[in-house]
Amino acid sequence: MKFTITSYNAVATWKWDTSSEPHKLWRYAQPDAEGSYGDVEDDEDEDDDVCGICRLAFESCCPECKVPGDDCPLIWGECTHVFHMHCLLKWIGTESSKQQCPMDRREWGKSPCS
Amino acid sequence: MATGLASKRLMKELAEIKSKGTPPGITLLSAEDMQVWLFSIQVLGDETIYKGETFALKMKFGPRYPIECPEVTFVADQTYNAVIPIHPHCYSNGHICASILGNEWSPVLNCVAICITMQSMLASNKKKERPQGNDRYVRNAPSNPKLTRWHYDDDTV
Repeated sequence: MKFTITSYNAVATWKWDTSSEPHKLWRYAQPDAEGSYGDVEDDEDEDDDVCGICRLAFESCCPECKVPGDDCPLIWGECTHVFHMHCLLKWIGTESSKQQCPMDRREWGKSPCS
Repeated sequence: MATGLASKRLMKELAEIKSKGTPPGITLLSAEDMQVWLFSIQVLGDETIYKGETFALKMKFGPRYPIECPEVTFVADQTYNAVIPIHPHCYSNGHICASILGNEWSPVLNCVAICITMQSMLASNKKKERPQGNDRYVRNAPSNPKLTRWHYDDDTV
């Protein structure tokens, strides 16, 4: 069956929570004074929103996936650094990684939050 | 040949260099494809023993960049009047003994970060000399410096 989308209304958007302060999440659910949910501006600089390995946004997928979301999840280390899981696993899979976090070279341990 | 991973990452880096520029003393000379890029490096200021000299840094990317480090060498290039720096970590064939190009590579590093490291390695040097055993190394060295087993024994320069 073929069909053509003529119009659509977006009702929700999603974003990985990469902040180290998850309690700030309430902002996502609070309308502003005009009753709009608007865009949530991050106060962190843009480098915090991209995977340090592939440099693509966390909300997009890693270079080898096609669809963002649960099929291309993020992974958090005990050191609080975040990457696309696929990017991180490629690195950890190499001998030269010595199983270290690419950011701080501490031993990579998966955070219990992942 | 660069695959999806490598070429997407390099496209990002290129876009960033074009929009934000490169740090002082560092210029992208050529990036005609996603395989070999050439940067020029100068050490700025009056304190340096390399005042007025220009060096050309060649980076060759494999399909697994940035998971794997690129091949990085200094090259002599007449077009840019570039010579291979005389430095205790730079062999006369352009090979460089630097830990970030070997066992301390990290996939969060990028081309500009490599250039900055090379620039500061040159900036901190006080005496122009080749590494010990330069001639012997150059006679037997593989063309790819990544095949050399490096020992990083001096981090003062």
